[in-house]
Amino acid sequence: MTAQLGNRLLRTLLATAALLGAAGMAEAKTVVHVMHQGDPGWVKAYGDVAKRFEEANPDIDVEMIYAPHDAYNEKFSAAVMAKQLPDVMELDAPFLANYVWSGYLQPIKPLVDQDLLDDMTSSNISQGTYPIDKDLYAIGLTDSSVVLYGNKKYLEAIGARIPKSVDDAWTREEFEGYLEKLSKLEGVKWPIDTFRGYGIKTEWITYAYGPLLESAGCDLIDRKTWTASGTLDSEACVKALTMMQTWVKNGWVVPTSSGTNQFYAEGQPAALAMGGHWFYAEAAAAMKDDIVVMPLPKIGERGVSPNGTWIWGISATSENPEAAGKYLSFLLKDKEYREYAKTQSAYPGLKSFAAESPLYAEGGPLAVAFEQASKTAVARPPHPAYPTITSAFMQAVDKIFNGGDAQEALTAAAKKIDQDIEDNAGYPPFDEQH
Amino acid sequence: MSDLVLSQPAPLAISRGNSKTGLRIVQTVCIFIIALVMISPLFMLLIASLKDDRFRILADMGSFRAFWVNDPTLSNYREIANFSGELAYGRYLFNSLVILVVTVVSGLIINSMAGFVLAWGSLRGKAILLALVVALYVIPQESIIMPLVVMMSRAGLTDTFAVQILPWVASPLYVFLFYQFFAQLPKELYEAAEMDGASIFRIYRSIYMPLSLPALATVSILMGIESWNQYLWPTLVTQTDYARPIAVAIATFFGQDSIYWDRAMAASVLMMIPVLILYLAFQRWFVSSFVGSAVKG
Repeated sequence: MTAQLGNRLLRTLLATAALLGAAGMAEAKTVVHVMHQGDPGWVKAYGDVAKRFEEANPDIDVEMIYAPHDAYNEKFSAAVMAKQLPDVMELDAPFLANYVWSGYLQPIKPLVDQDLLDDMTSSNISQGTYPIDKDLYAIGLTDSSVVLYGNKKYLEAIGARIPKSVDDAWTREEFEGYLEKLSKLEGVKWPIDTFRGYGIKTEWITYAYGPLLESAGCDLIDRKTWTASGTLDSEACVKALTMMQTWVKNGWVVPTSSGTNQFYAEGQPAALAMGGHWFYAEAAAAMKDDIVVMPLPKIGERGVSPNGTWIWGISATSENPEAAGKYLSFLLKDKEYREYAKTQSAYPGLKSFAAESPLYAEGGPLAVAFEQASKTAVARPPHPAYPTITSAFMQAVDKIFNGGDAQEALTAAAKKIDQDIEDNAGYPPFDEQH
Repeated sequence: MSDLVLSQPAPLAISRGNSKTGLRIVQTVCIFIIALVMISPLFMLLIASLKDDRFRILADMGSFRAFWVNDPTLSNYREIANFSGELAYGRYLFNSLVILVVTVVSGLIINSMAGFVLAWGSLRGKAILLALVVALYVIPQESIIMPLVVMMSRAGLTDTFAVQILPWVASPLYVFLFYQFFAQLPKELYEAAEMDGASIFRIYRSIYMPLSLPALATVSILMGIESWNQYLWPTLVTQTDYARPIAVAIATFFGQDSIYWDRAMAASVLMMIPVLILYLAFQRWFVSSFVGSAVKG
């Protein structure tokens, strides 16, 4: 009896040891941690890609870490503090310089497939490049832009010229003239929706309004000396923001309180909408053939449009950078992922993806948006102080739109930005770029 | 003349009666309007959850159509009522319920024990300890959240249920609430039980706890709501589906380029139900506890 019990115990111990051994072997697999954001559709798409990658690479496991879009920066900060940065992470392009400067990212050229690097559009390269070493730190399948959407019946009613390409975008005189005419047109409550409803907690104001100001000869910061005073509070910027303030004062712009649907809501109260490429799907679903897509107006000498979206980088602390690069290459080439991206009217950041996207191809409804990427796109300032730059600028615009003095608000914003740069000793080596 | 004197009070009474009725009408109308203002967002949420076109929901917002649905459908609920997959909102709801129940039950035990010892225990430096507890209450959760993340990560608790429960079980507010409640009960109760040879734990468990239903109800509701609505903390410490609560899961509907209003509304309705049940179950004691503490000051 005792011997039997002893044997049983021995067998149990051996089985446990075998299981633990197997578990140990399982743990020996390379694990790639991937942090991302996105709505359920994207979450599913990423999850499916991870499964396919694991099937194709049985020695690598992929662990997806989800962070809500609105709390991504907080989640990222927590990961930094806990020293738990993932191997692969999604990041908002304008924050790239800050992340690289802080030492969170590593160059990806040696890690991702060469054919993908060759496939990137110039705008995609610019959004993933760190200005100091000119090296590539992030890559994406997609990019973004903002266009001017118009309600065809209103535009025809005022006899507006409808631009067909970036080269014949509306001038400031035309644009303001049409806004005035639209304000008097029956059925139009607001001539334009600039999506103030997105608020100042998102990137929208810097992302979308910045290019209008740049077109007027203004910028958020001097991109050579990296000082905001003298640039952001310059006469050109004050004039440009006073111009936008006048649109608001005239009652031409949909107010923040009216949300983000006035272009296609019942009665279509807004005649124009300065919206992202993603807005097309929802607006076209409601308006059918009544929607026209036009380039952003040229406020000054040249047209300027925004770019940049959520792209993928590999963390500097990754223990498995090769595996991370392998996953990233797999993701960007994955056919089903690309198919899903197309259903979301994703803006192409790879040339091969552009060729597969009829929406953006020549003659497609968003062709003008894609044309902007090569002709007018300007990245937001690639500087580690960008988080302060965007926050200070958005607060200034908010003040100005609410009736504040443009010069005063912009001077305060410029001082805040310069103070941050000074507090960080000029973010060396950015201070040596003068 | 006398007739005139006698007849004078009658019109006054009528006018007083009229003014009282008028006042009541005004009160009723005001209450009705306030109730309407309070209920209308919830009603709009419910109506929107029965529409299956997210663009339609957005287009309807800002007009009376937001309060009406022509073809009600439960498709949004069907889509999210899963226990696995990318829309496993049943699972997330279950996760939130587990976190809520464990947090509230353990919180009631720990905070009430601490409050009881501070009120009746023979503890040296009780007054200082109480002052410290109150002082802790003024420190906002957000200010300690990052060091807490690091602590929990070093303890290997990231992405677990425990990490969402442990830091919030003991709370200065609830310790103080219990302390205040126990301290108001007659001292004779404690002394009589002590004379009968009851231990401090026995006195706490058999005499004071049964008398503390209003305090227990109040803490249950406050703690329950606090646990249920936690967003930032679980966002920082959860990574996968395993322990993700519904508040964080709902945020997935608010994407970079698009908002899935239809499913977000349905998930919000689902999220509201348990906390509404909790409130309705305990609200009698909850109200009486607040009224009691207001009267006793």
